[in-house]
Amino acid sequence: MIGAVYCPTSLEALWPLLADGAHVLAGGTDLLVAKRGPASCAVALLEGIGELAGISEGDGLIRLGAMASHATLARHPLVRQHLAVLALALETLGSPPIRAMGTLGGNIATASPAGDTLPALLALNARLELASAKGRRVVPLADFLLGPGRTALAAGEIIAAVVVAPPAPAALQHFEKIGRRDALAIAVASLAAVIATDAAGTVTEARLAVGSLAPTARRLPAAEAALTGQRLNRESLTRAAAAIREAVSPMTDVRASAAYRRQAAGNLLLRLTPQP
Amino acid sequence: MTGPDAVFPRADALAKAVGAERYSADVTPPGCLWAGVRRAGVAHALITGLDVAAARATPGVVAVLTRRDVPGTNRQGIVHKDQPVLCGERVRHRGDPVALVLAESREALALALSRIDAAFSPLPGVFEPAAALDRDAPYVHPEHPDGNLLAYGLVEKGDAPTALADCAVTVSGEYHTPMQDHVFLELPNGTARLTPAGVLDMVVSTQAPFRDRFEIAHALGLNPWTIRVRAPYLGGGFGGKDGATVQCLLALAALNAGGRWVKMVWDREETFLAGYKRHAAVMRVTLGADADGTLRALTGSLLFDAGPYAHLSGEIMALALEHAGGPYRIPHTRLEGSCAYTNNPVGGAFRGFGVLQSSFAIERLMDALATRLGRDPAGLRLQNALGRGEPNAIGVTPEPGAGAAECLTAVLAHPAWTERAAWKRQAPPFTRRGVGVTCMQNAMGYGRGLPDAAAAKLELTKQGTFRIYNSVPDMGQGNASAFVTMAAQALHQSPEAFALIQPDTRHCLPAGSSSASRTTFTFGNALLGACRAMEAKLRARAALALLCDDPARLILSPGLVTDPATGAAVPLARLGALLPRDDRLCVDQFVMAVVENPPDTGRQFKLGFPHRFYSHGACLCAVEVDELTGRVRLGRCVVSVACGRVLSLEGVTQQVQGAAAQGIGLALFEDPALENGCMGAGDLSRYLIPTALDLPDIDCLIVADDEPTGPLGLRGMGEVGIHGPGPAIAQALFDAAGLHVTRLPVTPEDLLSALGGPE
Ligand SMILES: Cc1cc2nc3c(=O)[nH]c(=O)nc-3n(C[C@H](O)[C@H](O)[C@H](O)COP(=O)(O)OP(=O)(O)OC[C@H]3O[C@@H](n4cnc5c(N)ncnc54)[C@H](O)[C@@H]3O)c2cc1C
Repeated sequence: MIGAVYCPTSLEALWPLLADGAHVLAGGTDLLVAKRGPASCAVALLEGIGELAGISEGDGLIRLGAMASHATLARHPLVRQHLAVLALALETLGSPPIRAMGTLGGNIATASPAGDTLPALLALNARLELASAKGRRVVPLADFLLGPGRTALAAGEIIAAVVVAPPAPAALQHFEKIGRRDALAIAVASLAAVIATDAAGTVTEARLAVGSLAPTARRLPAAEAALTGQRLNRESLTRAAAAIREAVSPMTDVRASAAYRRQAAGNLLLRLTPQP
Repeated sequence: MTGPDAVFPRADALAKAVGAERYSADVTPPGCLWAGVRRAGVAHALITGLDVAAARATPGVVAVLTRRDVPGTNRQGIVHKDQPVLCGERVRHRGDPVALVLAESREALALALSRIDAAFSPLPGVFEPAAALDRDAPYVHPEHPDGNLLAYGLVEKGDAPTALADCAVTVSGEYHTPMQDHVFLELPNGTARLTPAGVLDMVVSTQAPFRDRFEIAHALGLNPWTIRVRAPYLGGGFGGKDGATVQCLLALAALNAGGRWVKMVWDREETFLAGYKRHAAVMRVTLGADADGTLRALTGSLLFDAGPYAHLSGEIMALALEHAGGPYRIPHTRLEGSCAYTNNPVGGAFRGFGVLQSSFAIERLMDALATRLGRDPAGLRLQNALGRGEPNAIGVTPEPGAGAAECLTAVLAHPAWTERAAWKRQAPPFTRRGVGVTCMQNAMGYGRGLPDAAAAKLELTKQGTFRIYNSVPDMGQGNASAFVTMAAQALHQSPEAFALIQPDTRHCLPAGSSSASRTTFTFGNALLGACRAMEAKLRARAALALLCDDPARLILSPGLVTDPATGAAVPLARLGALLPRDDRLCVDQFVMAVVENPPDTGRQFKLGFPHRFYSHGACLCAVEVDELTGRVRLGRCVVSVACGRVLSLEGVTQQVQGAAAQGIGLALFEDPALENGCMGAGDLSRYLIPTALDLPDIDCLIVADDEPTGPLGLRGMGEVGIHGPGPAIAQALFDAAGLHVTRLPVTPEDLLSALGGPE
């Protein structure tokens, strides 16, 4: 149950609230579900702090404010043009109302193994800008995700922004999520790929990440290595798919069995097989 | 769109669209108390302790009631009374209620419920209906004379075992259909109060307000005539509100509320836990035919998981047996059915009422036979479709009407069928496409032995408009609107001249439940009778005002009665003002006809067997299977329906689409994940119903038909559309991927293994 609600308009006003134990509330799409029980919970809204919502470009980097909603991000020209893998992931997240309310920061802080933006951001080598009363620090997303619902966020600290270096314009950006239906579906398995090739079609860099296949969304170094230096064809993709199946540690739940998830995880990469 | 719809839009559309319609859930009298239930949370156990002291001491708590506080039999149930209002000694499924709390606020209620200390001594549970029937299985009701066998029935025609032995080909299968939740939008809820005059006044989201009075009275030892039930529009029901949900608990709460209003609303998780479900069924069946595909014999057994309480399990199983032969000509049949008590959730009424289960089995058998004979499944069905005047699988000759052949033919003429080869060739990379077409049928009405009756009341108001006293709840299916359309046509008035009073046992006349595809047919006939009486009355009374000695020549037109001979007219408003109230009322009643010479079979079924009227349909599903993920997408769904004359094309289309969507949910999405009596998918994040993105456009084709005994020629059709998608998708998946579906829902995992590995 939500108790006191605070609406600070600056970070300076936020820090004492957090020190007093208030919970950060961004879009509320995870928090309001988690806090349905009888226990009362004080919340500090982030929506009044303007600087957290911006989306900007500078120094060759794109900066996505933690409070940017999924819907805003998915239609933003910078995201659509340079971070297609993220746009694709956002389009599969929840449903229109969830995308209108839910934020990037919330998705990251929730750190669900199934969080849809996470594989995409991992494949983009995203870094997080964390802020607290003590100042700011920058942490790679890969180091931030510690386990299901566990992050490197310190007490009194928030995610201020996500910082990404856009991939080369010609790089292939791909995202696919398997859900049990086409909207409002938690990922059974997902795969994000950012693959750069040279003029001859040889892979110069492959970044692959999966969701719902391990305690956290994670990169797949062995599968990436299996593609690097190869052309993208049936053989190389099949080898890399095998490496994916090898690397993942899925579980069985009501949505799917571990065996299905493992099989499908590799299959998702085969989607990139060039068609005659 | 044909004429009628343009003239008569749905009477409830505007009020619902703007949020003005008041559902039961919207009724929250100021200062009302809140009632809620503590549920067992264990599937089978003895109650060894129930400490409610801390709950009673919680600030804001008005009362905490247990079994000892229940007057009467403490047994609810529509026909068979075996379900406790509050359990005292034993709980038989996880949703069983053990204590009832009344509190000043929802917060105090939640806190008090969490403070009830219930101690249980677990009993061995029984979760598989087949195992439940073993001699040494633990009994769900130790006092029940037949152990866990709740009901058994046999239907027979000819000599099936002998005929089967002579068949050139036989095919057999074991088919499974799952438990299904209704997922109505408006959760079970109601509000109740004991008035100073001693009347228990209730507003409930219910499909059966008139019958509820008896169920409540029996359970709580009350006089049914002191109970008033009002049933506003329901936000969905689908059978799940046919039979007490909140009613008895709420009435008990109101009896202990000192005359204050009490409100009870189950939340979604509680509804998954405690609400009724479609019965899971296992069907072992064998179909025999001649080498040319002519059906000869059908045998088999059907086993239904009733959960711990009877509800209408036996009646539902009877309907399954009655429909087990499908709309096909089968000279010899022998089918047995059993319902087993288990400690799973309670089985109950659900759109399709047993028919869904056995339809899946017979349609799958037809496909198996087609495969065996190398025949096209549609052609095999056309060859064997039951014609007019032919006896069905239990030996009843249904009332003549358009049947499976006409419905199938309509679908086979649709481009989704005629152009299927091209569509399949255009499958995108990594996908395979397939198309399936199957038949469906659903009986209308309660059936023999249980009068399918309704009485209607129609009032001319003082202002010269009309009031229809609807007696059968509208749970969204549109019957109330249909009543306005019918009365407006019958009395030559504009639909705006009619107001609807929704079911209220004080003001409306008794009628059966909103169920069994009977609602519009039975009440509609009663209403048209009342309209005829009203027309005669208006002519006769107007004749006095118009000094006309031949009332028969007077003409009704919107707002007027006119004498064509003189051109003089009297406004209805004047007649309304002149007549005393008794003279402004017209009533009539109707009872649905039953099978006149029933075959001597199904002797176990005293209530609701067999049926005389059937609606038919056919369903096409076009699927696309992803080879990499096993995901199935429905590309197309076409449903034809023969349901007598069409009063509202929009109404029929909406029912067909809604029913098909619910059937698609059962076929591809809704997996209860039941384990040891516990639904693994006990909330809407895990129990997945299809969203708008998961459903294709569903085309509805109307097959020309007429039901001469129906109101304006119509027959009920609220259920029939649900039977198509399961078997049609199964057939399409065989076409696309070679998968032999024997069990619903079909999962991506099933498909991925059918398609082999990634290589
Ligand atoms: C019906 C439904 C469907 C959903 N579908 C999907 C889906 O398909 N895919 C998916 O990935 N998720 C889904 N979600 C989950 C959720 O919508 C997303 O995770 C969303 O991004 C959360 O963002 P939010 O702004 O709503 O977070 P909130 O609920 O406000 O917060 C979530 C948590 O993060 C913390 N937090 C929020 N912002 C910050 C910040 N800037 N810094 C530090 N901590 C912060 C909060 O304190 C809280 O603990 C769904 C949720 C619902 C209710």
